[in-house]
Amino acid sequence: MPKFFLNKRLIILLVSIMVLVALIGFSLKERSELTWMEKFAKDTVVFMQSIVHKPAQLVAGFFENVNDLRRTYEENKQLKAHLEQYVLLQSEVESLKKENERLRELLDKKESLRDFVAIQATVIGRNPDRWEETLIVNKGSQHGVKKDMAVITPQGLIGKVRSVSPFSATVQLLSANDRQNRISAFVQGDENVFGLIEGYDEEREALLLKRLPYDAKINKGQRVFTSGLGGIFPKGLFIGEVEEVVADEYGLTQIAYIKPAANFYDIDDVMIVKRKIEMSQEEEGQ
Amino acid sequence: MRRFFLPSLVTVMFLLESIIVQLFPDPLFDVYLLVPRILLILIVFITIFIGQTEGMTYGFIFGLLYDVAYTELLGAYAFAFSLIAYLIAKAMNVFHKNAWTASFFAIVAIACVEWYAYAIQLVISRTTMPVQTFLQSRFLPTLFIHTIVILIIAYPLKQTLLKWCEKRDESSPV
Repeated sequence: MPKFFLNKRLIILLVSIMVLVALIGFSLKERSELTWMEKFAKDTVVFMQSIVHKPAQLVAGFFENVNDLRRTYEENKQLKAHLEQYVLLQSEVESLKKENERLRELLDKKESLRDFVAIQATVIGRNPDRWEETLIVNKGSQHGVKKDMAVITPQGLIGKVRSVSPFSATVQLLSANDRQNRISAFVQGDENVFGLIEGYDEEREALLLKRLPYDAKINKGQRVFTSGLGGIFPKGLFIGEVEEVVADEYGLTQIAYIKPAANFYDIDDVMIVKRKIEMSQEEEGQ
Repeated sequence: MRRFFLPSLVTVMFLLESIIVQLFPDPLFDVYLLVPRILLILIVFITIFIGQTEGMTYGFIFGLLYDVAYTELLGAYAFAFSLIAYLIAKAMNVFHKNAWTASFFAIVAIACVEWYAYAIQLVISRTTMPVQTFLQSRFLPTLFIHTIVILIIAYPLKQTLLKWCEKRDESSPV
C-alpha cells in the first residue's frame, strides 16, 4: 500500500487530473474577458492561419468554381425572374425610406434601434473539434469588435461574438447548444409576437423560439427578426422562417421551430454588427 | 533549417485542421460531423519514431494551443494528447516499431480522444447528443475517414520522420 502512494507517475497523473478539472472549471466560468496569455496565443494562431488560409482558399475555390459553372444556366433563369421583382421592390423601399426619414424628423427622433454599423470580417477558421460550432474571424477589439455583438451574413443572423482578442474574435453560431445564448426576437405579422430564441434542435436543424403567448396565432412561413430589446443586438436582423408551432410542456406558452435563413456551414465573410444606440444612452432616454 | 522542420510540420497540421473544417464544409462535413485529427496522428507517429519526450512535448504544447485558440476549454486536449503520447511510448516497449503498429495506435488514439471529448462535453452539459447519434454521425465516419487517410500517409510519414531523426543524430555532436 505505501508503495502505491509513492509511485511518482501516479502522483503526477493525479495532480494533472486535478489541474485539468480546475482549468475546465475556470474556462466554464462566465468571463467578460480572456486572459492576456489566451489573447496572445489566439492572435498568434490567427496570424499564422491567415497566411496558410490564402493558398488553401485558392484550392478550395477552384473546386467550387467548377461546381458553379455547372449550375450557371439554371441560376441565370431564376435570377432573371427575380430581377423584375427586385426593381419594383427597390422603388417601394426608396419611397418608404424617404417617408420614414421625414416622419422621424417630424418626431425629432434621430436614432432608432434599427441603425447599426457593420464591421466586415473574413472567416479564417472554424473550431475543428466541432462540439461547439464556433468561427474565428480576423477582426478584433482593435477594430471595434466587442463581446456579444451580433454577427450576420447577407442571408441573416448567424450568431454572436463570444470572445475578443486585439486582432481576432470568436463567433458562436446560433446552432451552438448554449443555454445562456438568448436572443430576443419577434414573429412578423399583423400583430408582432415577441419571444426568446433559446437553443437549437440538432435533429430538425431548427432554432427554438420560446415563450410565445399561448393565444398568439402563428402560421408556417412567417418571418422572424431580432427585436433589439435584448440590449445589444439591433432590431430587424432576419433570423429565419417559422416551420412549426407547438405548445410547450405546461401548455402555458408556445414554442416555434424556426428554420434559420443563413447557412451555418458555408460561411466565408461575415459582418459584425454594432448598434448605434448604446445601452447607456437608452437608459438615459427613459 | 533542419531544426525547424518538425515544429513547422506540426504547426502546419495544427492550422490545417481548422482550415479544412472551414473550407470544405459540404457535402461531407454537413451531413456527418467529421472531425479532422491529423495533429493527433502526427503526435502518435512522432512518439513512436522519434521519441517519448518529443511526442509528449508536442502533444502538450499543441494540445494547449488547440484549447486556447479553438475550443476555449482549457486543458482538455493538452491533457489528452500528452497522456496518449505517454501511454503509446509505454506500449511501444512491447510492440515492434513499424508503419503498421503506428497506424494501429493512431486509429486507437483517435477513437480514445473522440470518446474522451464526448465524455467531457456530456459532463459539462454542453451537448445533449445521445450515444446513438454520436456513434452514427460522428464517431464511425471520423474513424472510417481517418483509417483511409492513415493507410495512405503512414509509410511516407514514417520515412520522413526517420530520415529527419537520422540527420539530426548525425549533425548533433556527441
